[in-house]
Amino acid sequence: MLEVAFSKPVPPKAGAVVLLLAEEEAMTGAAAALNEASGGAIARAIEVAAFKGQKGKTVLLLAPVEGLTRLLLVGLGKRPDLTTLVVEEAGGAIAAALSQEAGVTVLADGLTPPEAAHLALGAVLRAYRFDLYRTKEKPEDKPKLTGITVQTEDHTKARTAYAPLKALAEGVYLARNLVTEPANVLTPGEMAERCKALTKLGVKVEIMGPKEMEKLGFGALLGVAQGSVQEPRMVVMQWNGAGGRKPRKPLVFVGKGVTFDTGGISIKPASGMEDMKWDMAGAGAVVGLMAALAGRKARADVVGLVGLVENMPSGSAQRPGDVVTSYSGQTIEVLNTDAEGRLVLADVLWYAQEKFDPAFMVNLATLTGAIIVALGQEHGGMFSNDEDLAQKLTSAGIASGEKVWRMPLGDAYDKAIKSDIADMKNIGGRHGSAIIAAQFIQRFVNNKPWAHLDIAGMAWSSKDAACTPKGATAYGVRLLDRLVRDHYEA
Amino acid sequence: MPLVLPVTEGAIPDPFAAAARAAGFTAKPEQTLLVPGDPVSGNPHRELLLVGLDGTSDAEAAGARAAAGLASCREIAVDGRGLARSLAVALTLGAARRAWRFPNHRQGPPDADGDAMQIEQISLIVDDPAHLGRRWREAVGLLEATVFARNLIAEPANLLTPRSLTQELRHLEAAGIGVEVIPAKALKGEGLNLLAAVGRGSVNPPALVLLHWPGRLPLPPVVFVGKGMTFDTGGISIKGADRMWDMRGDMAGAAVCAGAMLALARRNSPAPVTAVLPLAENMVGAAAYRPGDVIRSHHGLTVEIVDTDAEGRLILADALSFAIARFDPRAVIDLATLTYSVFVALGREMAGLYANDTVLAASLAAAGLAAGEPVWRLPFTEGQREQLASDIADIKQCLSGPLLPDASLGAAFLSRFVGETPWAHIDIGGTDLRDEADERHAAGPTGFGVRLLDRLIALRYEDPDHP
Repeated sequence: MLEVAFSKPVPPKAGAVVLLLAEEEAMTGAAAALNEASGGAIARAIEVAAFKGQKGKTVLLLAPVEGLTRLLLVGLGKRPDLTTLVVEEAGGAIAAALSQEAGVTVLADGLTPPEAAHLALGAVLRAYRFDLYRTKEKPEDKPKLTGITVQTEDHTKARTAYAPLKALAEGVYLARNLVTEPANVLTPGEMAERCKALTKLGVKVEIMGPKEMEKLGFGALLGVAQGSVQEPRMVVMQWNGAGGRKPRKPLVFVGKGVTFDTGGISIKPASGMEDMKWDMAGAGAVVGLMAALAGRKARADVVGLVGLVENMPSGSAQRPGDVVTSYSGQTIEVLNTDAEGRLVLADVLWYAQEKFDPAFMVNLATLTGAIIVALGQEHGGMFSNDEDLAQKLTSAGIASGEKVWRMPLGDAYDKAIKSDIADMKNIGGRHGSAIIAAQFIQRFVNNKPWAHLDIAGMAWSSKDAACTPKGATAYGVRLLDRLVRDHYEA
Repeated sequence: MPLVLPVTEGAIPDPFAAAARAAGFTAKPEQTLLVPGDPVSGNPHRELLLVGLDGTSDAEAAGARAAAGLASCREIAVDGRGLARSLAVALTLGAARRAWRFPNHRQGPPDADGDAMQIEQISLIVDDPAHLGRRWREAVGLLEATVFARNLIAEPANLLTPRSLTQELRHLEAAGIGVEVIPAKALKGEGLNLLAAVGRGSVNPPALVLLHWPGRLPLPPVVFVGKGMTFDTGGISIKGADRMWDMRGDMAGAAVCAGAMLALARRNSPAPVTAVLPLAENMVGAAAYRPGDVIRSHHGLTVEIVDTDAEGRLILADALSFAIARFDPRAVIDLATLTYSVFVALGREMAGLYANDTVLAASLAAAGLAAGEPVWRLPFTEGQREQLASDIADIKQCLSGPLLPDASLGAAFLSRFVGETPWAHIDIGGTDLRDEADERHAAGPTGFGVRLLDRLIALRYEDPDHP
């Protein structure tokens, strides 16, 4: 992970330098001094590039001053519109533009300490790279950026503000690593093992295998798992950060963790099937979130649960038409073995309620293609039975940049899963199928405030975004960290 | 005559108590009970249908179930005695909406099969008919408007071409609605090149029809824009054969806007409203427009065609910018069977709402709930507008590929043609039709949007003090 340092402003002598400019603001202080040292070259470049400090805009100068390799101008937009998200995106732009520099110094005396910290977070998030399996990459093709120094008068406060953000970044990195790992490496067993690492952060980690789940009666989850030689797991991660002040209902987060989804007997077409290694991104986000919350010692009691299975076609696989009995006692006719995520969630959600009496539950799942058709790749789909929770998730989404869009629920949609043989079937028609999937999950919500996030369009990105290089996004970690931070910490 | 008798829980009339007990009928909403013969009057030929109804239940839904339960009867009566007037009217209106059936193109009388809808006449029995007053007149006007739209949508495309649809719309003049037609040969002169291009492949030429309801308020009009593809083969990007027949209903947006105009006229709305209806047929023809073509829109933006089956957004784009330039409207609301994507997103139950104006969106959401035609707001984003950048023109019409949010992209495309005018786009690609009849709904076109638009105008645009 990119090394982050904060220091007081000293004129940079070497390496790359970043100047931040808001709209309609002139260069002052250190920036003005650099411009003078460059013989006015920076001002001329600003003029020629028509750079006015617009949000997201950058201008790069090569060796403008003796000793400096590169100078990057980064626009912040209008000063009154400046948010932590805007500075994070500026940080991301810096990491992207200067990836071939070893060290970067950012002149950030115009930023508050929290803003300076978020700038560093943005750079760290963008500098993520998954390099484990590149054995022959030439050194000159690798990014060289290893450290970023943010110069600001209040550098001590900025450093303090950065500590929890570093924990957040570590959670995001963990989630991205899990989502990126191929399915031959990251099996349910392996993913459960990796969850154990959270014990170092003070998280209580409990792992259940097929025997325990059979005993409990997880018929829905086990039905999905039965086609694979990889045994399923459920991992329960508890972080008790509220300090036992008074016994309080925990916040519960549940993730779908299908480490690979072939579709099972209702097999998917070959084209694009490789994407299904990230069908555990909901679980990945929950694990990353738990790491972030524990890493920053969040003052809240939180439980994360993930259901981990592999969905394979085989001689022992579940068939379309099978009827399974879920942990809740409700029976399910499995008409399509590729609608398996909801089966996993059904048992894990019911268990979470029985065991923990949660204040609320939020589940994350790469659940349906329909949500991508509905919302594209800029909003996760949110379904909720609780206005207050829905509101808070919406505002946390805007603040964190991981946006959600609320989708409807209703009896008319619930009718679609009426079964002729069991309490329900696991699919309705194609139309409204993201909503129908949410209705299915809601049948396993026992009068608790609940939100379901369908993140099928958000888990993986085919192009770079400001703070997220292409690939695994870890969508959900920043959103839910923000939700907890803004509303549920003592 | 068979009678519909609304009853509330715990108040089942004595003569039916035994039958109700035997059938497990407790008069819960959604329950009905058919009692053969009438023990009250002793008339053995009279059927009685008890329908559960309480103060909170949906009286229109109860009415619909009653009509479905008595579908084999030619005439039925609704007993509204003892009911609040609004409930009695809603019950009857619901029955009448459910009793709609396809226009009869059979040689003989309508299908006489037992299950088919046979109801021709519905009477409402009340103690004092004179007191039903305005509420009844408005309900009847709204019913007429909805039936007008549904009949047009159901009509086959060989019988309903842009020209004959224009003729049908001319009948609205009798209701006090001004009808203005810009014929095919004048489209290019008006700069409506997208509409002209989409219609070019067919021997049935396109047209732009304007319907004017003058109202009484001295204000610019609210404008409805409705997509009027009388048939959509997809053009050169031709559709699959399966269910292509449904494309005779691809003019539902235009029909619904026209129906809403009739509803406004029937209740003599004070609000000036204009409907702008681009009509065309999208055919595979020697002169048809092609993928890759670049066309200058009425707005001025040049459009690169990617898929000739995404034609609805093209004719809407021209109609929207034409309407805004000509009328400087208070607001523009377009309705269109635009995408399959919205059907995937929301199913048959709710239409997709896209808007550049939060207040208008909230008004439409409220009007939809009140009218029983719910809409759900969905996003279109700056990012999606950027995705429509073209290598050769100002904007691409759509994208191609799997799992695209095509409904949002359609809205993002249209947003480029409306500027700052308060605008909402309602994608009725899922709510326009019902494949099968059920208790609540007739099979075929729903007319979704007529009541929504009528209610929007009533809620938002008829107050002279708050224009």
